[in-house]
Amino acid sequence: MVSKEEIEHVSKLMKIEIDDPIEYVEKVQKMIDFFDVLDSAGVESEEISMPEIEIEALRKDEHLPFSDKLIEKLNHYKGTYVRAPKMSS
Amino acid sequence: MTKIGLEIHCQLTNLESKLFCSCKANYREFEINENICPICMGLPGTLPRLNQEAVKKATTIAMALNCSTPEKIAFFRKNYFYPDLPKNFQITQLNIYGDTSIGGTGSILVGDKKIRIRRIQLEEDPGRLIYEGSSSKNQITLVDYNRAGTPLVEIVTEPDFENPKEVRDFLKILSDLIENLGVADPTLEGAMRADANVSIEGGTKVEIKNIGSFHDLEKAVHFEITRQESLNSRDIEIAQETRHWDDRRKITVSARSKEEDLDYRYFLEGDIPWVKIGIDTRNELQSKMPESISSKKERYISEFKIPSQVAEVLSSDKFYSDLFDKSFTQENAKEVANIITTDLMGLVDTREKREKSKLTPEHLKNLANSIISGKIARNSAKNALHEIVKTGNELDAVIKELDLGNVTDQLKLQEIISQVINEEPQAVEQAKSNPQTINYLVGKVMQKTKGKADPSLTLELLKKNII
Amino acid sequence: MNLKISALQFVEDVKTGNISVEDFIGKTMEHIDKVEPKLHAFLEINRNSLDDARTIDKKIKSGEKVGSCFGMPISIKDNICIKNSKTTCASKMLENFVAPYDATVIKKLKEQDAIFVGKVNLDEFAMGLSTEFSAYGPSKNPWNTEHVPGGSSGGSAVSVSAFECIASLGSDTGGSVRNPASFCSVVGYKPTYGLISRYGLISYANSIEQIGPLTRTVKDTAFLLNIISGIDSNDNTTIDNKNEDYLSQIDEGIEGKKIGIIKEMMGEGIDKSVLSATNEAISKLESLGAKCEEVSLDMVKYSVAAYYTITATEAGSNLARYDNLRYGYEFPVEGFEFNSYITKSRKNLGPEVTRRMIIGGFVPSAGHAGKYFLKALKVKSKLTKQINDAFTKFDLLMSPTVPILPFKLGEKINDPVALFLVDVNTVTANLTGKPAISIPFSISNGLPIGIQLMANSMQDKALLQAAHALESTVKLPEVQI
Repeated sequence: MVSKEEIEHVSKLMKIEIDDPIEYVEKVQKMIDFFDVLDSAGVESEEISMPEIEIEALRKDEHLPFSDKLIEKLNHYKGTYVRAPKMSS
Repeated sequence: MTKIGLEIHCQLTNLESKLFCSCKANYREFEINENICPICMGLPGTLPRLNQEAVKKATTIAMALNCSTPEKIAFFRKNYFYPDLPKNFQITQLNIYGDTSIGGTGSILVGDKKIRIRRIQLEEDPGRLIYEGSSSKNQITLVDYNRAGTPLVEIVTEPDFENPKEVRDFLKILSDLIENLGVADPTLEGAMRADANVSIEGGTKVEIKNIGSFHDLEKAVHFEITRQESLNSRDIEIAQETRHWDDRRKITVSARSKEEDLDYRYFLEGDIPWVKIGIDTRNELQSKMPESISSKKERYISEFKIPSQVAEVLSSDKFYSDLFDKSFTQENAKEVANIITTDLMGLVDTREKREKSKLTPEHLKNLANSIISGKIARNSAKNALHEIVKTGNELDAVIKELDLGNVTDQLKLQEIISQVINEEPQAVEQAKSNPQTINYLVGKVMQKTKGKADPSLTLELLKKNII
Repeated sequence: MNLKISALQFVEDVKTGNISVEDFIGKTMEHIDKVEPKLHAFLEINRNSLDDARTIDKKIKSGEKVGSCFGMPISIKDNICIKNSKTTCASKMLENFVAPYDATVIKKLKEQDAIFVGKVNLDEFAMGLSTEFSAYGPSKNPWNTEHVPGGSSGGSAVSVSAFECIASLGSDTGGSVRNPASFCSVVGYKPTYGLISRYGLISYANSIEQIGPLTRTVKDTAFLLNIISGIDSNDNTTIDNKNEDYLSQIDEGIEGKKIGIIKEMMGEGIDKSVLSATNEAISKLESLGAKCEEVSLDMVKYSVAAYYTITATEAGSNLARYDNLRYGYEFPVEGFEFNSYITKSRKNLGPEVTRRMIIGGFVPSAGHAGKYFLKALKVKSKLTKQINDAFTKFDLLMSPTVPILPFKLGEKINDPVALFLVDVNTVTANLTGKPAISIPFSISNGLPIGIQLMANSMQDKALLQAAHALESTVKLPEVQI
C-alpha cells in the first residue's frame, strides 16, 4: 500500500510540491494497482534486451567549439556565471 | 583490523573532447562558461554523443589494472538535483544487469600487497560551484559549467588498505600508471580526486567525501581512524554515515542530514545503446598499451645495468622515461640515466617547469656523449643542462657562451700543473712514494680550472711530471 | 486558391508555375487567422512565413536550385526545437525558452526549403492524448469542436486536417501521432525506432518515442520520410536506412500479403462503430488480395502497464532538468535555499505532469526499482519477441488505431485509468520499436475512425505500400469548418 510518508519522500525526491499528499495517496495507489497486472505477465525469467552500437560507430574525439556564445542566450549573472540559490549546509 | 576502501576519480585529461559533446575535455584554459554547448548544458532536446576514444582510454585503464573488460558496456542515469549537474542526473555506469561497466574485478600490486579493484566506470564530471559571500545568510552560489561533461573514470577498490601509508603508496602507483598510459596528466589541478571509506575493527563503514587532493585524503583517512578509535575506546557506537572533509579545519564532519534522502533511482540511459567492444578491439587496445612501469624498470636494469633505485625513479615518471627512451644509446644509457635522476630532476619538478623546459632528447644525448668523451666535466654538465632547459640552445653554444668546456689543451694544462707542483712540494714528495695521494694534486688542478680540466689528461700529465 | 491539396500536388503546382509560393502561403496565413479562434492548433504563428515564401519564389524565378519542399507550409509540434524560436512544450515551465539550435529534422526540412508556418499545440511535455493538458488551452477537433482532437500531437493533427498547413511533424511516444491522426482523419506515422533522429525533440520517454509526420495522404508521408529519415551522428540511437526511397514503388499493392488482426486490440471497450469500421477494413484488404487472419498476442494485455511504468520513470528523469536555473521563466533565485527554490519553480509544471513526476519518482525509487521498472522492461522484451514471432507468419498486423471515437472535451480528463483504454492499441508499436501508421478510414456520426497497420522493424517501405493500398479504397468527406 502507498503511504503518505512515501508520497512525501517521492515529492521531496522529485522536487515536486504537492498540496495534499493524502489526495496523491489515492491517485498513486490507483496507478500502482493498475501496474500490478505486470505481476501476472510471467516474465520473471525474461532477459531484458537493449539496442546496441559498435564502438567504431561512436563519435571521433575532436574538439569543435559551439558556434555561438551560448551563455549569452541563457540566464547569466555577474558576467558569465549561472546563478544558483544558496545551498543548505 | 582497519579497512579502507577508495573511490578514485580520474579525468581523462588527454582527450580532445568531453564525454558526450565536442567541447574541450581540458576545461582549464577557458573563461567562465565559455567551454559549453547545448549538449553539456543539458538543453531540452539534446542527446549524448558518446566519445569513442573515451571508451577506449577507459578500457585501457581497466586493462592496466588487470580488470575484466566486458563485451558490451551500458550507461545508467544517477538521478539527483544539484546546480552543477545541468540535466539533474549524471550519466554513469553500474553492474545491475550483468557486468556492463567498463572494467570488472581486477587487482594491482602495491609493494607485495595485492589491492583488489571492484569496478571501473566511465562517467561525466559535473560543473563547478563557486560560493560567494562570507556568512551563510548572504551566501550566493555561482556555477561554471566548463567542467560539466569532462570524461571521468571512477576506480572503486575493495577495502584492502589497512593504514594511510598503504593508501599513499597505492595512489602514487596509480597516478604513475595513469600518466604512463598517456590517458591523463595527474598533476593537473583536480584531475585526480578520491573518496574513501573507513572502518576500524568491530566498527561500521564511514564514507568520507569532498576531499580536494590526495594529500588531504591521507590526512582525512588518518583523522577518521583516530576519530573512530577514540569513539570505540569510549564505547560510543560509530554511526554508519557519510562525512565530509572540512578542508579548513582538517577534520571530517557528518553530512547525514544531506545524504539520508538519497535515492538515486538508477535506470538505463536509453539515449546510449549498449556499446559493443569486440574482442578484436580489446586485443588491439591491449597490444597498443604503452610498456608498463615495471617492465620499463626491468628493462633498464637488465639491458643497461642501471642501478635498481635509479631505474625505479626513471621508470615511474613518464616524463623521465620518455626522455630516456628517446635519448639513450647502448654506450650512453647509464650516463643519460644519471643526468636525468641526479641533475634534471631538480630542474623540472613541477608541471609548469616541465611545460617551459626547452630540453630535447637530442640535447640530452649530446650532453651524455660529451661527458663520456671528456668534452665536458660532470660538474659543468650540470650548469650546461640548466642553461639548455632555460634556453633550448645547442650544447656547443652553451659551452662556448658559459666557458664550460674542459681544458684539454696540453700546453695550457701543463702550465697549470707546473704551478701546482711548485706550490705543493710536500704533496709531490708524498705522491712519489704513495701514488694514492696524487688525487690530492688532481683536485688542486681542478680547483684552478674551476673543474674544467679533463680529469684523465690531468692525471696522465701529473704522473709524467712527478715520476 | 485551393488549400486542400496534398504535399505532392503542392510541389507539382509550384514546379509547374500553377501557383506561387507567396500566394499559397498568403492564403494559408489568412485561413489560419480565420480558423484559429475556433480550433487553437497553434501556439505560435510564424509571421515571417510570407517573407520566406517570397524568397523561394525568387529562387524559382532566377532558376536557382530549390529544395524538394518548394516552400511547403509545415507546422511543427512545439516540443521540436527550431533555432531562435520559442519551444515551450505547451508548458509554463518553458514559456521563455528559445532554442539555440535546430533539431535534425528541422535542419533537413530547411535544406529542402520547407516553410514553418508555426509551432503547434500538444499536451504539456507530450503527456496526454487530448491536448487538454496543454498549459495554453486545448485544441479542438475540426470535425466537431466539442470533441478533443486527440493527442499529444493534437495541434499537428488539427492544423493538417483543417488545412492550416500541408503537413506537420509530431512525436509519438505511445500513440501521440497516430491517435490525433485517427481522431482528426489524417495520416499519422510512427516509424521504426531510430529511423528519424530525435536530436532536438524534447524528451518525454526517450527509449520508445519517435518524431513522425502527419499528412493528408500516405504518399505525402513517404515524401516527408525521404527527407527526414536517416542515421544522424547527433543521435546514437538512429539506424542507417541506406537512403531508402519510400515513395518509389508505393503503388506495389498488397496482393498475397498476410495480415494478422490483433485479437487483443478489438476486445473489451471497443466502440461498435469502430468495430464495424475495422471489419470493413478487413474486407477491403481482402478485396485487394491480402489474406487476413486473427492473431492473439497475449502480452498486449500488459503493454499499457509496462508503457506507463517506463514512461513515468524516463519522464521523471528527463524532466528533472527543468529547475529554472539556466533557462525557463522569470523567477529570481534571491532569498531562496536551493531545494525550496527548485521545488517552487517546478510548480509551473501542470497537474498532469506533476502527477506523472510523482509516479515517475515512485516507480524506480529504491524500494520499488526491481518490482515495477524491471518487470516493465521484461514485458517489453517478451512483447517484442511475441511480435517478432508474429511477423514470421504475417507481413503486417492490423487493428483500429483507437478503440473509441473522439471523446468530448472534459469527458475523461480526470480519470487517468479510463484513458488507458485509449492507448491500448498504439503503445505496442512504441514498446517494440515497430513502425505503425494510422490511416483515415471512416466517419461515424461525424467523427473520424482510423485504421492502424504495423510492420516489422525496418519494413517501413512495405508498411507504407500497404497503407497506400488501403487508403486508395476509401473516399472520405472533407471536414467542414
